[in-house]
Amino acid sequence: MAHPSQLGFQDAASPVMEELLHFHDHALMIVLLISTLVLYIIVAMVSTKLTNKYILDSQEIEIVWTVLPAVILILIALPSLRILYLMDEINDPHLTIKAMGHQWYWSYEYTDYEDLGFDSYMVPTQDLVPGQFRLLETDHRMVVPVESPIRVLVSAEDVLHSWAVPSLGVKMDAVPGRLNQTAFIASRPGVFYGQCSEICGANHSFMPIVVEAVPLEHFEKWSTMMLEDA
Amino acid sequence: MAGEEESDKKNGFKVLGILDVQNTPCAREALLHGSGGSLAAGLLHFLATSRVKRSFDVGFAGFMLTTLGSWFYCRITNAQLRMQQRLIQDGIKNKVMYEGTSLDTISKPKEQEPCPSCP
Repeated sequence: MAHPSQLGFQDAASPVMEELLHFHDHALMIVLLISTLVLYIIVAMVSTKLTNKYILDSQEIEIVWTVLPAVILILIALPSLRILYLMDEINDPHLTIKAMGHQWYWSYEYTDYEDLGFDSYMVPTQDLVPGQFRLLETDHRMVVPVESPIRVLVSAEDVLHSWAVPSLGVKMDAVPGRLNQTAFIASRPGVFYGQCSEICGANHSFMPIVVEAVPLEHFEKWSTMMLEDA
Repeated sequence: MAGEEESDKKNGFKVLGILDVQNTPCAREALLHGSGGSLAAGLLHFLATSRVKRSFDVGFAGFMLTTLGSWFYCRITNAQLRMQQRLIQDGIKNKVMYEGTSLDTISKPKEQEPCPSCP
């Protein structure tokens, strides 16, 4: 999860998010170099004693400041498109989970093998135990096996919501009457937090998402326990 | 322990408020190489031509080119290493998972001895 006053991305927990982080670093380096260039040009223009009021048809500089931005844009676009197509690759998911948005909670359905479904409500602040995070914890987490491709089908029962987990690099709108699909692989075991990302009413800020990635045998024990409790 | 790591990440220095050089791989090396390249190019040009302003321009161009070159080289090398690491991880995982089965690519099947009485 994010630490206090964090500005940058959270640590990546999926291969796609790792690629997005690397692309972001690449884009920021290019932005830094462009900003440095502009600053240098401003200082040079302000500090020169030379003036020429009669410049006409300066072909060379025109060519430079047409070609250079085009080259910069290509340098940014190529890795960007690579990641775009990487995210759209057809993978063979090991598990499909339906995430349904409600006002104001999420419900998850694991219907591949048995009918397992549960609601996930935010833990109120007064019910938190020491060590838990305010406005982020839920009573039931979406548990997934680690290192397995997971397909998440996102929809909503009432108004627009959005299912987002930043550290997994996942965000998908939950639209009533529409089934949206996204996929991720949790590279490491852990607990990953997200929040509803589409304004959906009074408690829009109070319907978080918690994904817990565990080894497969733990996932099997958890699903057995949840089915028995149901 | 986690708190110390978080405070280190929080205190990362951002050049021009844009790029966190402490926490971004290859950023610090690229900027240092760029600074060195800039100094070298500007100084050499000045020694050759004694033109101050133009030497500053050449130095700045040297900074841009050296930074970009160092950055791309370091990032491409890191990407290749990451790819190799992922392949090795998958290979280890598959070896452990498929050892002893027909899908095991490491151990070769035992050669059957020829049957003397077979036609």
